[in-house]
Amino acid sequence: MSAVQSISNEIKSYHWFVKLMLVLVIVGFISAIIRFVFGLGATTNLTDRYPWGLWVSFDIVTAVPLAAGAFTLGAIVHCFNIKKLEPLVRPAIVTGFLGYSLVCVGLLVDLGMPHKGWHVLFYWNLHSPMFEVAMCVFAYTTVLFIEFLSPVAEKFGWKFSLRVLRWFELPLVIAAASISTLHQSSLGTFFLIAVDKLHNLWYNPLLPLLFFMSAICAGMCIIILEAISCHKWMGQPNEDELLATLVKILPWTIGAYIIVRILSMVFLGGRPVFDNPVMTGLFAVEMGVGFILPFIMFFRMSTQNHVRFMGRAASLLIFGVVMNRFNVSMFGMMDPNEIYFPSMIESLVTIGIIAAHILLFVVIARHFPIFEHHTETEEEYPLPAYSRS
Amino acid sequence: MSKVNLQKGNVFLIDLTKCTGCRGCMVACKQWNQLKAEETDFFSGEGYQNPRDTSEHTFTLIKFREYEKNGQVEFSFYKEMCMHCDDPACVSVCPVNAFVKTPEGPVIYESDRCIGCRFCMIGCPFNMAKYEWSKKLPLVKKCDGCYSRVKEGLEPACVTACPTAIEYGPHAEMLKLAQQRLKEYPDRYIDKIYGKDEAGGTGVFYLTSEPFEGLGFETVTKRALPSYTWPALSLVPGIFLTMGAGLTAMTWITQRREHMEKEKNAKLDKQNSTESKEEQI
Repeated sequence: MSAVQSISNEIKSYHWFVKLMLVLVIVGFISAIIRFVFGLGATTNLTDRYPWGLWVSFDIVTAVPLAAGAFTLGAIVHCFNIKKLEPLVRPAIVTGFLGYSLVCVGLLVDLGMPHKGWHVLFYWNLHSPMFEVAMCVFAYTTVLFIEFLSPVAEKFGWKFSLRVLRWFELPLVIAAASISTLHQSSLGTFFLIAVDKLHNLWYNPLLPLLFFMSAICAGMCIIILEAISCHKWMGQPNEDELLATLVKILPWTIGAYIIVRILSMVFLGGRPVFDNPVMTGLFAVEMGVGFILPFIMFFRMSTQNHVRFMGRAASLLIFGVVMNRFNVSMFGMMDPNEIYFPSMIESLVTIGIIAAHILLFVVIARHFPIFEHHTETEEEYPLPAYSRS
Repeated sequence: MSKVNLQKGNVFLIDLTKCTGCRGCMVACKQWNQLKAEETDFFSGEGYQNPRDTSEHTFTLIKFREYEKNGQVEFSFYKEMCMHCDDPACVSVCPVNAFVKTPEGPVIYESDRCIGCRFCMIGCPFNMAKYEWSKKLPLVKKCDGCYSRVKEGLEPACVTACPTAIEYGPHAEMLKLAQQRLKEYPDRYIDKIYGKDEAGGTGVFYLTSEPFEGLGFETVTKRALPSYTWPALSLVPGIFLTMGAGLTAMTWITQRREHMEKEKNAKLDKQNSTESKEEQI
């Protein structure tokens, strides 16, 4: 059977939804080619007034916290030693690796001079939040790639590599969490420079801390949604019992975020906050629907010991984080006389990137052992001596 | 970051009460920088000004404002250009160090390095960094204070062309001149030098007779922009090490505890089994 045939057979076996994702990826890819052929000015609605649009707001500023599940879960399982969540780690790493790879794709599409992107690694500017984030994303994508090699090595039976990877597992988990702390928060530092541009409901010296805290909440909620979806649509076992642990942690992290968010706004703002009804509305939706409501839901679930609404609560919180990132990077800097709206090409590329994430996850899950509770690896290649003493 | 000696750097002093709106500066700027003509519309902007905004093709722009004084319509003009800040946001946010504050005063841009992230445009409080939206591989464009001329001891093109309103010279000298004018003609000017404190101090000083806000001047913070991001960025190495060390310690403690428990259980099991053996005997 030729390669073309096997690929077409593979595609034929997909669910219609996955086929739709494939179509969206192809459309997004063509849109990206059009963007490169005709240039940014001709294909986007970006202007001197709005130098950053949908691609920065979603593909970078929003996609990074949505991919925070891998480092959060890694730290929970290995550093806080809540070992029973181990089965969720691999899917989270795959999601994280895909997420960060696609952030890099989004960045290359958005850069005016993508062929010079490597300059960041060469001409260091320690005063630039962008330099910091670029270095971290580069480093962390590498870490995620190495972590992702475990299921690959397992699939092809590379025993030596598996043993090496196993040895590096803990250092990588710690590196992942440390690097993520830096760039998740530095994405907030980006907007500290926009002191006279960003509305006071979002501008705040603690923006970096708030970005980090909300990323942790988003990461855990993505893991919940992912496990629920894999159970529902990919025939994976029901992980509700494991997810109950996350439901118990989430009220604490969301609660802490809400407290810091409100206190910092009240005490560190220093300028009028509720002076613009549109901004107040956006803030109310973000805070009320996106943070306070899911906080109440998670809190009640954890006190009443059930997980009935966790899917809905997790979706609401993710909505809140997405809304927050858009408010900070786009709506909060909007000029009412000249409103930005993404062009067709911008939208299609972003939709293509989201579709690529889903498609690649399904394809990887089909071909690599990411859901198996891989106990045989642990028995065959136990953790290195340094962690057993 | 301001390693540059500001006393030596040059500053533009633009006295808008003396500006006649001839726009000779705009023409000189276009000629020196070899910028393309733009297709323009009358009244597309705030008044008679043309074009509407500064752009990749227009580095400096005379903005027109009409106002009423003693029942008469008067004109005021405002020359918009890069402010050549003392501690510029663009220099600090650029990930590849493409912007440089030169000792001579101008803030220049090294286009070879630019990756096109456009963070400088977000950072600039005066919105003076413009992008080549017309190009397939676009770069940032802005007034470079005619650095190539200034370096050779010449004045910037717009200063040479201006018949009335622009002085150019060392920071201290220009500040003294501006203060002297405010003192000598208090009824002609608003008592403020715009640009002296804005964004932590800039390389362009303005004097006007009308309130600055009404003329289209941005209300800008008095702190240098990099001082907003640096407190967070300076914590980066500390946070990295604390997080790394903290998590390593956490891992060691939790695993040690697990190990101890296992050993304890094993011991108990052993004891139990020996006890039961003794009983059997």
